[in-house]
Amino acid sequence: MSVGNNDLRGTSKRRTILKSLLGVSLAAVLSPILYVAGRYLGYVKGSKNGDVMIAQSDVSAEHPSKLINIDDQPVLVIFQPDKGVRAFTATCTHLGCTVSYQPEMPQFYCKCHHGRYDADGVNVEGTRPKKPLTELTITAKGDQLDISLKPKTKG
Amino acid sequence: MNEQPKISLIDALHLRQTYDAVKAKTVPHHRASIWYYFGGLALFFFIIQVVTGILLLFYYEPTTDTAYKSVQKIVTQVPFGWLIRSLHSWSANGLVLMVFVHMFSAFIMKAYRAPRQMMWVSGVILLLLILGFGFTGYLLPWDETAYFATKIGTEVPKALPIIGESVSSLIKGANDVNGATLTRMFALHVGVLPALSILLVLVHIGMIMLFGSSSPPGMKVTGETRYFPNYLIKEMMVWLLGFAILICVAVLYPWGIGHAYDLANPTEPPPGIHPEWYFMFLFQTLKIVPEWMVIIGFGVVAVIWTLIPWLDKRAGNNKKSPVFTIIGIVAILYMCVMTTWAYISVSQEQKESPASRQEKNSDSTNVK
Repeated sequence: MSVGNNDLRGTSKRRTILKSLLGVSLAAVLSPILYVAGRYLGYVKGSKNGDVMIAQSDVSAEHPSKLINIDDQPVLVIFQPDKGVRAFTATCTHLGCTVSYQPEMPQFYCKCHHGRYDADGVNVEGTRPKKPLTELTITAKGDQLDISLKPKTKG
Repeated sequence: MNEQPKISLIDALHLRQTYDAVKAKTVPHHRASIWYYFGGLALFFFIIQVVTGILLLFYYEPTTDTAYKSVQKIVTQVPFGWLIRSLHSWSANGLVLMVFVHMFSAFIMKAYRAPRQMMWVSGVILLLLILGFGFTGYLLPWDETAYFATKIGTEVPKALPIIGESVSSLIKGANDVNGATLTRMFALHVGVLPALSILLVLVHIGMIMLFGSSSPPGMKVTGETRYFPNYLIKEMMVWLLGFAILICVAVLYPWGIGHAYDLANPTEPPPGIHPEWYFMFLFQTLKIVPEWMVIIGFGVVAVIWTLIPWLDKRAGNNKKSPVFTIIGIVAILYMCVMTTWAYISVSQEQKESPASRQEKNSDSTNVK
């Protein structure tokens, strides 16, 4: 009787080991498949270094803001009497709406949830955005301005 | 006090009958039982087609301006995109091969006899649907080969008396292959054909679970294996082997893409243009026999092939039927001989063409 029980216990142990091995093998086969599918689906189009040229005359005291597209991202090029031409990402840091520039304030304003940013793109306390807009690099090339998605280096 | 009896998920989903049928199913052992694996392999490659096809849909854009560029983007920019496309194309070939092997082995083993007649019929329809997948998918990359192969393929029905022109226009959605044809092929490839084939695959599998595997008449059965889980695990081992081979081929020989076809600047077809290997026997037949004869001839053969379970009366009575075995072997030989002949003549055409000599001397922009 006791031998029979030992046999049963042995069979059950072997079965558990075999089941674990099967599980490990399945995981070994499935994990690279899931990794490949994940990387494939996670592809995002566009670079973070794209740039666009505009004419210097496009933005001035008369036309203080211009909304442009760089690699499918909206960018606001603005003219400020004291600081000249500047470029900011135009995507609201709250929920992604496109912001506009209000030169009379001067402030950036997001219509979707009344978000506000000051003239330097810093989010105004008490409104929904919790992060500032990013100021971008502008390089003058003759009478053209090269607006790049690269953030402007401070200083 | 009023405790409700526990109901298993199988009962809750009303799957008890199916579950019991699957549990009761056994697979017979005899010297030809290795051929049973090919149906499972065909199913496996079909599943790979569905999964990789869905993944390709995330990036593929079906217009004449964007199709080629989107395929190029998939294989050059999207991480592992080249692998997904290569797997899709190679497993399509694997699927057709497995379906042919499965069909001819079922034919020679007389697996179509009662009560499995409708399994045979559903299998023949599935073969036609899978060949349809091959034909409609071929145009989607919108490269030169795809364009001309589709042009030739859609011209063939024109040889039919009276309805020829209409059939050809119906397939193309236009008078000539253009954007409308691409839209049509795309709709068929990702909508109509998957819906029909998934339904039929389920019917086909449902019937094998219900009727069980057939043993050839007169063959000695030495035993049987329970299908669930014993045979299923064995089958999955074979799937794993098929997957390993597929991955190796897809990685070592990534599926290429030819030159983009520009409708606005028509070009001549590349030398030695030919369809995929599984249409080569038809392609060669078309070279030596008038088109209308080929269409009508193959139409009649397809009808007879579908009706085999009712024509082979001896097998129906569980007796050996050597005449039908010979018919099957002749069909296999015909396809092999015509395919080889087609490849020999295509390679000769390629060698003789002045364009191919020129191409050898110049750099190709081919992504291959």
